[in-house]
This record gives sequence, C-alpha cells and structure tokens, in this order.
Amino acid sequence: MIDTLKFYFRIYFQIEAQYIKSRMQYRDDFIISTIGMLFSSLTTVGVFWVIFDTVPELDGWSLNEIIFIYSFYLLATNPMQTLFDHFWQLRIHVLKGTFIKYYFRPLNMMFYYVSEMFDVKGIMQLFLGIALFVYSSNSLGLVWNLKQLIYLIILLLSASLVIISIMIVAASASFWIYNSFPVMDLAWRLREYAPYPMSIYKGFFQILFTYVIPIGFISFYPSQVFIRPEELTPIIFLSPAMGIIFSFIAYRVWTAGVNSYTGTGS
Amino acid sequence: MAGLAYRSGYFFTIANNLIYMGIAFYLWQSIYGSREIIRGMTFNQTFLYLSLASSIFVLFQTWSDWEIGFQINDGSIITWMIKPLNYQFSIMASALGFVLTNLLTITIPTIIFLVFVFKVTFATGPGLIFFPLALVFSFLLTSTIDYIVGITCFYTESVWGLSITKDVIITFLSGSLIPLPFFPENIRSILEFLPFQAIYHIPLNMVIEPNQPTSEYLTMIGIQLVWVIILFVLSRQYYNKAVKKLRIAGG
Repeated sequence: MIDTLKFYFRIYFQIEAQYIKSRMQYRDDFIISTIGMLFSSLTTVGVFWVIFDTVPELDGWSLNEIIFIYSFYLLATNPMQTLFDHFWQLRIHVLKGTFIKYYFRPLNMMFYYVSEMFDVKGIMQLFLGIALFVYSSNSLGLVWNLKQLIYLIILLLSASLVIISIMIVAASASFWIYNSFPVMDLAWRLREYAPYPMSIYKGFFQILFTYVIPIGFISFYPSQVFIRPEELTPIIFLSPAMGIIFSFIAYRVWTAGVNSYTGTGS
Repeated sequence: MAGLAYRSGYFFTIANNLIYMGIAFYLWQSIYGSREIIRGMTFNQTFLYLSLASSIFVLFQTWSDWEIGFQINDGSIITWMIKPLNYQFSIMASALGFVLTNLLTITIPTIIFLVFVFKVTFATGPGLIFFPLALVFSFLLTSTIDYIVGITCFYTESVWGLSITKDVIITFLSGSLIPLPFFPENIRSILEFLPFQAIYHIPLNMVIEPNQPTSEYLTMIGIQLVWVIILFVLSRQYYNKAVKKLRIAGG
C-alpha cells in the first residue's frame, strides 16, 4: 500500500515536470494569463466593495465577512484550478480520439489523466486567497486555536472535493454528448455564486445550491463555522459527508464514461 | 452557421444566462432590502439593466479574437493576406454572422423569458428607438476591441490570457456587472472617460431611462461614434505594426 502510494507520488512529479517544461515556451502568455486571473479575482472583490459602498450590509453580512467567505472560496477552488485543470481538455481528447492512449498505461486512468497538467497560474490565486484570508480574519478578530485549524483543514478539503466532483461529472459528459464545454462552463459559472450568503437565494435556488449542485458547501456553509459559530445550522455537519459522497459519485460517473468510450474508430 | 453544428451549446448558454438572471434578481433584491431607490435607480431598473447587459454580452460573444489567434498560430492568416480583401472587415463580417445567429437562438428566447417569467416592465419612450442604433455601435466597438486583442497574438503567440483579461476588464468597467451609477462618484467620472461604458452603459441607459430629451441621446451616440473612430484608427495602425512580427514555420 505504502509502496504503491510512493510509486504514484514519484510518477506524478515526473509527468508534471514534463508538462511544465513544455509550457515554458509560452512565457508571455503565462504572464498575461496570471495577470488576467488575478484581475478576475480582484474584480469580484471590487464588486463587493462597490456593493458595500452603497449599502452597509448584505442580508445581515458585513463586507469583511463576505471577504472571508470569498477567501475560503478561493482556497477551496484552488486545487480544482491548479491540479485538475486537464479536465477542461477532456472533450478535445475524446473528440479527436487521443483519449485512447490513457487505456494503455499500467496506472489508474484518472490519476494518469490528472497528472498530465498543472496550471501554474492558479498559484497566484492561492496567494490572493491566503492574503484575503489573513486580512479578513484579522479584521474580524478571529482567534485560531488547534481545534479550529483542524476544522479548517477538514472543511477546506471537503469543499475542494465538492467542486472537483462537480467539474469531473460535467467534464465526463463529453463521453456521451461529445462537446462538454457548455456543461463545464455552466458548472464553473455556478461556482461564482458560491461566495454570496446562501440566505439571499430563495426557494428554488437555495435547494439547488444546497442539495443538487451543492455550491453552498464550497464556502458559505463551512465559513460559518468560523465567522458565526453561534448561528450554526445542522446542515454544516453534512459538509465532510457531501465531499465524500460527491467524489464517490464523480468517480463512478467517470468510470462509466471511460467504459462506454469506443474511440473514434480510426 | 458553423456555430449551429453544436446545437446543445445554445441550450446551455440560455440556461446559463437565465440562471445568472435568477441569481442577480435575488442578490439585488437583498441589496435593495426595503429601499425604494438606490443611486437614482429602482430595483426594476437595476434588474432590467443587468439582465440586458448579460444578454448583450452573450450576443456579442463571437470568439473572433480566438479565431485570429488560431489563424496567426497555424499560419492560415497568410491566405487572407494574399487576398484582395481587408482582413479586418472579413473578420468583422464573420463576427456579424455569429451575432445574428446568437440573436435568433439566444437573445430573443431570453428576452421572451424576461418578459413572461420575470415579468419585467419597462417604460416606453424615444430612447427605445435609439437603442438598436446604439447596439450597432456597441457591436463595432466590441469587434474592434476583439480584433486588437486577436492581433496582439502576433507578439504573444497565444490568446487565452489576453482574451480572459479583456472580458474581465470590460465587464467590470463597462457597468455590466454593477450598473455604472452604483460606482462611487470619483471612480465613475474616470469610467466615463473610458471606451467601455460606451459598449454597455450607453445602450442600457437608453432602455432604463427612455424619456430623456433627444439631444441627450444624440450626444450618447456621438460619444460612441468618437470611440469607434479612435479605436478603428488605432487598430489599423497597430495591425500594420504587428504584422511585421509574423513568423510562420517554413516561411
């Protein structure tokens, strides 16, 4: 078991190193994309700032609380951004038939597929996430002890699993409908609604975001543990379970897709 | 017409847009709370402004910057250079084709939905007559900006980063994420000197406040026209400069 893990660990870094070398030839694009990604996160902060310039609170939440929720969101979605970026290319591999190569390696297919790409520019968002997290937790006067740090790690991990699972399911759609881009695009945009308090969404959207496409678990519900511990709802205890259940479903969908793929016939 | 090959894409784009409207509805409802008017805009006006903005964004999504990027990278741009046609006009013409398909398949269904499901009401007035004209200028502005971004590919050899940066900057600074009147006064006066507000804020302002004097509307159209001319001249000069950078494998 340990040996297998070690083996996978070593292979992972070898494959990633090759990918990063091949990306180095587009250095200008790397710099521009990094700036672009940073801009897109900063505009979200800009949106909050403009909103709170006109109204003092949003459904009872203050600007710093919203920034905390947003920084949690940046940290939770970062693994999807950096480590699982290759899923965006899945539809191209499926359409062109190049996906067939993943069947011929003595490795777990999802592992091999995921390790072929690492999105370096996502690192900037990690830094921004950490900076906003420190800033907002300072201005909210939050105190961190060991117990809370453990909670933080568990909640971040399960939040990451939720968004990764959603994206894997969306990407796997390409095994059946070929062009999965619109599906992924939809899922990826839904994620953008995660940093807002779920309490503002009424009826349909609240149910959708809590149980069906659980983006509420990406940042809003877990953040409450730290910023409003006195108002916890039982729903928060679902968080780790959500992460595990959804990754199980995602892996099943992926496996079903892989098994049904027949190549392009050439 | 090439876009029609992936019909399921339209369904998701419409769904995407409708979900955005639903979210914007609830978000701004909680921002308004019990207030009637914020910064001179009623909730109804704000919602109309934002949902039309996202529909216009989808309408003008022609991917022509990506197209130029691909043509520069695989060298097929050369087949355009030896034709007796203007490259910029042919790119704009194919973008116009995209806009017309988008209009029929995405924008019109969305507007129908907006009127019958969200039941938005809008005042009528002379502003609505100027709106289509302003939209034409908005199209000229977006397609010229797309063209400039595409051509930058002569230098960077990749378009991904530029294109997303462009989208982010335009949506934020043009008022399509937050209506322009909501920005603090000093920032707003800077934004009014930038070309981006001419793309979204000007046509949208005509819809939400359709009863201003005609001279107001003519000034707005004039501002758009000035920006079209400035950007167009810039893009020509930029192309002439950038094209010298072209290197094609084996050329």
